[in-house]
Amino acid sequence: MSTPTADSVRTLSLREIGPAERGTRADEVVIALSPAFGDPFTKTIVDVPHAEVIRQLLAGIEERGGTARVIKVYRTADLAAVAHLGAKLSGSGIAVGVLSRGTTVLHQRDLARLSNLELFPQAPLLDAEVFRMIGANAAQYAQGQSPKPVPTRNDQMARPRWQAKAALLHLKEFDCIDKDRAAVEVEPVITTVD
Amino acid sequence: MSLVIGVDIGNSTTEACIAEVGTGEVRRLASSLTATTGVKGTPANSAGAATAVRRALEAAGRSSATPATVLLNEATPVISGLAMETITETIITESTMIGHNPDTPGGEGLGVGMTVTLAETAEVELDTPVVVVVGAGADFDDVAGALNRALERGVDVVAAVMHGDDAVLVVNRLTRRIPVVDEVSAVDRVPLGMLAAVEVAPPGRTIRTLSDSYGLASTFDLDAEQTRQVSPVARALSGNRSAVVVRTPAGDVTDRRIPVGTLTLTGSGRTLDVGVDVGADAIMEAIGRVAPLSDVHGEAGTHVGGMLANVRDTMTDVTGQPGSEIRIRDVLAVDTLVPAVVRGGLAGEVSKENAVALAAMVRTSRSRMQAVADALATEIGCETVIGGVEGEVAVRGALTTPGSSVPIAIIDMGGGSTDAALLDRDGTVSAVHVAGAGELVTKLIDSELGLEDREAAESVKRHPLAKVESFFHVRHEDGTVQFFTEPLSPHVFAKVVTVTPDGLSPVPVRGSLESVRGVRREAKRRVFVVNALRALAQVAPQGSLRLLGSVVLLGGSALDFEIPGMVAHALAPYGVVCGIGNVHGTEGPRNAVAAGLVDAYAGTSAGPAPEKVAVS
Repeated sequence: MSTPTADSVRTLSLREIGPAERGTRADEVVIALSPAFGDPFTKTIVDVPHAEVIRQLLAGIEERGGTARVIKVYRTADLAAVAHLGAKLSGSGIAVGVLSRGTTVLHQRDLARLSNLELFPQAPLLDAEVFRMIGANAAQYAQGQSPKPVPTRNDQMARPRWQAKAALLHLKEFDCIDKDRAAVEVEPVITTVD
Repeated sequence: MSLVIGVDIGNSTTEACIAEVGTGEVRRLASSLTATTGVKGTPANSAGAATAVRRALEAAGRSSATPATVLLNEATPVISGLAMETITETIITESTMIGHNPDTPGGEGLGVGMTVTLAETAEVELDTPVVVVVGAGADFDDVAGALNRALERGVDVVAAVMHGDDAVLVVNRLTRRIPVVDEVSAVDRVPLGMLAAVEVAPPGRTIRTLSDSYGLASTFDLDAEQTRQVSPVARALSGNRSAVVVRTPAGDVTDRRIPVGTLTLTGSGRTLDVGVDVGADAIMEAIGRVAPLSDVHGEAGTHVGGMLANVRDTMTDVTGQPGSEIRIRDVLAVDTLVPAVVRGGLAGEVSKENAVALAAMVRTSRSRMQAVADALATEIGCETVIGGVEGEVAVRGALTTPGSSVPIAIIDMGGGSTDAALLDRDGTVSAVHVAGAGELVTKLIDSELGLEDREAAESVKRHPLAKVESFFHVRHEDGTVQFFTEPLSPHVFAKVVTVTPDGLSPVPVRGSLESVRGVRREAKRRVFVVNALRALAQVAPQGSLRLLGSVVLLGGSALDFEIPGMVAHALAPYGVVCGIGNVHGTEGPRNAVAAGLVDAYAGTSAGPAPEKVAVS
């Protein structure tokens, strides 16, 4: 659907605004990012730039008339925990949790931590188009609508082909965990570099 | 006292009623229910009947070796069929309009201008209004940037049409607020260099100009003749929140009627041909003119013709009667709407097309119950007796409902057919069978909601609806809210669900709860209410429903949560007492025939006793 033009590259920096607090808007979606998202990692396991991940998630939410806040979690790199923390801080109770390597989940605060609304476990199959649809669905859940779940792709070869890289990225992400640092709200700043 | 078991083999269930019978007295012990094996009235029924008998014995606490008399009803095979023909289609020529009504169009208002591509905005003359057509793969930031640059140069961009779901995103980034229609999948087929109008209404509203013939005339400066030509476009767009109309030399929207063959109706010495595409009302009117119907044929190669032939073939297989001797005695036609993709559409437009659903029914007098009786006698080692025409026995069973009296009419609402019978004061019983019942309702719900899932349609038919509003509460269709202490399953979150005894089950539709409920109730009304009135009119004295005393509803559909109420409501103006049967005050609408058989055997109420049959 939307890919950045070849000659311009968008980069992401996350500007910290303060401690992550509970939202009050009933239609907001929280995007909860894992410790290494944006910094030091800059792209997913299949080289989708983090700038594009955030841009498409936000675009999906905006297109559906929703609002979003982005938080970064430092104390855990467990996707379920990251997303559930986001959901608890979200005014609508809906959150999108994203790991640096791309694995994504749609969560709701009343669910058990290991449950979910929609789970996208195969990070290598997630591209810009899928992130857009995830954002759009998150906004619709927050508005009390019942969107059709994003079609999940499945690739039998994804596991053998990507498992080693996924394991390395997982270890690196775990190195970025800071047990003493509380989650912060961030403002994604996307700049275009020619 | 002797042990007697009445067995009723129905289209879908086989019911048994066990009782001890003395002279003129009946002591009922228990009843049982099982699925019918094979087509009703065929030797294949033996297995189901044997199961029902064994279960009844077990429920009564008697050993299966106890000598007993088994009474069987004179079941005759009833075979019903269903078919649906779509009779209209919408065709758009020369890509003259886009009316797919995307969820999130951008901006609002009306923009009229020449269609140009995004690249061409760099070259167009500054004083001509343009509608920009954005192709696939364009990023929303880039598109907004390009449009803003064009606006800055003085290009009069008045509207846009896009491929991706980007309308709101682009409009939010523009310096001028313009109407944008997005998600146009075949955007490359939008004619370029033509005058086009794009209209988007505010949320919750519908377009006013492009959905109106004179609105189109004012927009495109049309004369009276041209206005007449574009009026189908206006009609096709009414009710939309957004639309695009392109003025092409011969572009048009046509609502075409599809010829789908004819039905040949024979009855009362006349033969009448009626086209299926005239719709249900005209078909039913034609059937009324040849009443009583003696046979129906459909045109070969059409769905309806195939269905009728199939019904005949099945009956031939079941009874061994030659197909030429099998007559279709009743047909019910129902108008319905089915969602269909519009031909020539640029954005996968779906329009609700008219369709006709037909249910047909065939029955025969040739019963093969003797074979069932023999098999049962051998298997269980009991005496078997066949007797009692279904209608008569059912009326006898229904009469045991507390509060009922002669004259009494029954309506047995089953899966394939609706049966009515009347017991008059003088003891005469008349009975009719009409086509169309539960299966047709399921089919109508399935096609109108576009489910393509029979199980889901069946669930919508059987259970009330609710909307899951959070993980801890649902709002039922009557507006009441129910809270839960344990969170609900994520797969029902925010969904319209059916409330089944096994919990909540999601309905795979995008529409609101109200629209699903409307489809469900309308399907039931058009089949059960229409058939109840139609069947009762055929058995009522002088065809007048006012002369019926009480009407008792029987059969599986009488257990439905709303059908009995709808039928009773429809009968209320005729001064008829109508209610759900409660056989012997305990059995509800089930078991009327089985209980009636036992009562008839004991001779406890008026009517002929079943004829005894030789025992092997």
